Amino acid sequence: MADTDDQRSGLGSGVPTGAPEPDPAPDAAPLLRLSGITKTFPGVVANRDVSIELHAGEILGLLGENGAGKSTLMNIVTGLVRPDAGAIELNGQQVHLRNTQDARQLGIGMVHQHFMLVPTMTVAENVALGMQARRPPMSDVPRIADELRDVSARYGLLVDPYATVDSLSVGARQRAEILRLLHHRAKVLIFDEPTSVLTPQEWVHLSEVFRDLAAEGRGIIFITHKLDELLGIADRCTVMRDGEVVGTIPAAGADRQTLATMMVGREVVFRVERPPVKAGDVALEVRGVSLETQDRRLLTDISFDVHEGEILGIVGVDGNGQSELVQVLTGLVSADDGEIVFHGDERRVVTPRAFIDLGGAVIPEDRHGRGVATELDLRDNLMMADFATSEYSYHGVLRAAVINSRCDRLISQYDIRAPGWHIRVDQLSGGNQQKTVLAREMDRQPSVLIAAQPTRGLDVGAVEFVYQQINEHKRNGGATLLISTELEEAFTLADRIGVMFRGQLLRILDADEATVSEVGLLMAGEETAA
Amino acid sequence: MSRPASSRVASSRLIGPAVSILAVAVGLAVSFAIIAFNGDPPGEAAEALFDGAFGSKKQAAATVARSLPLILVALGWIVAFSARRINVGLEGQMIVGGITGTCAALYLPGIPAPLHLLVALLVGIVGGAIYAGIAAGLWAWRGVNEIVSTLLMNFIALQLLSWVVRGPMKAPGVRSNRSAIIPDSAQWPNLIEKSPLNIDVFMVVGLVATVAWMLRHTTFGMRLRLTGANVEAARAAGVRTLSISMMALMVSGGLAGLAGAGLVLGGETEVMSEGFASSFGLEGIVVALLALNAPYAAIPAALLLASLRQGGGLMEARLGVPAELTLVTQGVVLLFVTGSAAVVRRARSIRIDVDGGEHEPAVEPREEVVT
Repeated sequence: MADTDDQRSGLGSGVPTGAPEPDPAPDAAPLLRLSGITKTFPGVVANRDVSIELHAGEILGLLGENGAGKSTLMNIVTGLVRPDAGAIELNGQQVHLRNTQDARQLGIGMVHQHFMLVPTMTVAENVALGMQARRPPMSDVPRIADELRDVSARYGLLVDPYATVDSLSVGARQRAEILRLLHHRAKVLIFDEPTSVLTPQEWVHLSEVFRDLAAEGRGIIFITHKLDELLGIADRCTVMRDGEVVGTIPAAGADRQTLATMMVGREVVFRVERPPVKAGDVALEVRGVSLETQDRRLLTDISFDVHEGEILGIVGVDGNGQSELVQVLTGLVSADDGEIVFHGDERRVVTPRAFIDLGGAVIPEDRHGRGVATELDLRDNLMMADFATSEYSYHGVLRAAVINSRCDRLISQYDIRAPGWHIRVDQLSGGNQQKTVLAREMDRQPSVLIAAQPTRGLDVGAVEFVYQQINEHKRNGGATLLISTELEEAFTLADRIGVMFRGQLLRILDADEATVSEVGLLMAGEETAA
Repeated sequence: MSRPASSRVASSRLIGPAVSILAVAVGLAVSFAIIAFNGDPPGEAAEALFDGAFGSKKQAAATVARSLPLILVALGWIVAFSARRINVGLEGQMIVGGITGTCAALYLPGIPAPLHLLVALLVGIVGGAIYAGIAAGLWAWRGVNEIVSTLLMNFIALQLLSWVVRGPMKAPGVRSNRSAIIPDSAQWPNLIEKSPLNIDVFMVVGLVATVAWMLRHTTFGMRLRLTGANVEAARAAGVRTLSISMMALMVSGGLAGLAGAGLVLGGETEVMSEGFASSFGLEGIVVALLALNAPYAAIPAALLLASLRQGGGLMEARLGVPAELTLVTQGVVLLFVTGSAAVVRRARSIRIDVDGGEHEPAVEPREEVVT
């Protein structure tokens, strides 16, 4: 296993203290030490005197609401941003990271939430891209591919080095990202919300990989919102709030209530009471919807009903047709086959306008893609869907006074934290952007709500708010289709849970009777998975 | 999570104008440095430049007159760009508007004075709009990039003009390649006697106000801005983004067509000749960029470029400094303004990063949608 040796010696290269030992003595210099990191952006302190230690062989959970300064801190560690003050030490030696290249050469690597792979290139080519080429680029690809195979066999990270990235599943892309880091001999591995794209079973596998990597003496920083997962695997948890470290506690003995309170700074209600179903008539009826491109079937014969006063949850790993289903339901894409009926209405959803006119509302999965126009102000974003109605315009001229007062009302009613509607939406936090979407969509009293990944990337407080809104809609007799990759979310909100796999709706289960493992198996395709 | 965002908004609003003014200052400094380097006195050159542009009433009137088509073209750019369509074919649309407007002026005789001018201008607008509409249609229905098509259609328009002034529209009995003289009924009345400044200056100012108002206060403007800011979100909100984008291009072309028709119908030569639209189309885009796509800012920006052109002539006459040097000024200004756009964006993305941790500063990978 020559490559393995190479791998090992590579681990130590560039580090003055030599190869890291597993299970270091407590007094040994930590693998990574950040001390007194301060970073100020014009008008805002993103990090204030942040100190964090990561020991070799340790898995450190990093928690915090959006805007707490995690991203800035990780950008500093990966060389993207330079701190105003403070020091970064690797194995007791102070280092200066001028750019990401420096960080990578020192063995710091990160798997981003949005993968940084070129979709049209193969895995091996992507790895080659990140290397400093002395020879013509890509001439190393066959060698790299061989090395990747060895690494991938060693950690059970199965990815074909010659597969193009866009042919890979999301989970495989993540494995490719990890392989890239390992190939670059990263000793400090940072994972930004790695579990949002995985099935429960895939996460179990990934967590084993984490443990293997840690056992070899690497250090792992694991950023997540999901407290349960963190507690299951991390050795210690560091919580950040408002740019500062609130505290670091051992994971053993910690519970999620403690962590959540540290994060938010107040008590958080986890149990959202699921209002009882008062199911009325069928509000949304989907019959035999199919969609295909030239070479792929995206949706196959999807049929379901959603009743008034009911929440139907559709779960599944990202990329199994949920996005396409939402696009068809909202009129963005017309299905090749099948029908979508609102309240038995004769009219069909053929355009987004028709969807809105028939009483539909949507919380899009990709907030920046379809939810908000970030470069416009809050008013434009709040008015986006109904500025042309006679209430808000007169012969093509906007009624500024009516619009402004509505925006003022929405801002207070939906608790959008903004100084006013003139603020550009890209200056709002993710949670407030999502509240903007909610305000716009819910204020017109829709009868059918399609909520696609409504809490993706939101912090605990904002999640709570979104859940309340959706349940409020249900109480008022509205029908809701909830599309989520997070099982916990589906079980919290939905009355019935359907599972999508490869463009098919496998089964719809009663939420009270279904179990997480049952749904998890369905998400993996159950019989097909074996 | 409320942060003192308003102060940052204010400062970020000032970044743009500051950059434009700085760009102009640096552009002028570079030009005068070149003049000094050549051994000419920069002070006198500056004086000549100013005298040429504003030295006398007549010269000032000529400068203002020269800025009017620039403003119209800049408005055209701004309308298209508000829906994020890049119309680099404003020059061609100007030419076509000039040709069609001239046709209406010459071949529709017997219409009383103010009406004849209006009809000719209207025909010019329609000509420019249709010409831009070809590119819009190719973009919407055939997926042809509008930058490429509008750019190439400039050359077609130039050839068309070259042909009509030599062939079908050539004035009989004259040697030069030009149209017959525009009848008085279709000419813009002078505002100042014996100067190129006509009363269309009021129309242009009115149009600036109209476009600014339209973009902010009408449903059409809202649709344009939504489409431009995030086409997917606009579509999901029920905006018919394809037709809005086409309309943006056609309105843009219509404004250019008006500029072209105005040049012929208000020109001192009272004829359409081969070079009537020379470089106004491209210079108008520079105006829009310098104005950072703000309609009102197009007025000072256009005046600046017009005065450089106008003053450059006197500078050459007095000192022998080539008038083309003002093009260097323009070039530096353009480089500065376009380059600084990236800087401004960068500053913004950093703020975003602070505000919400999960934002991506760069373009997010977006799923391709089957349509």
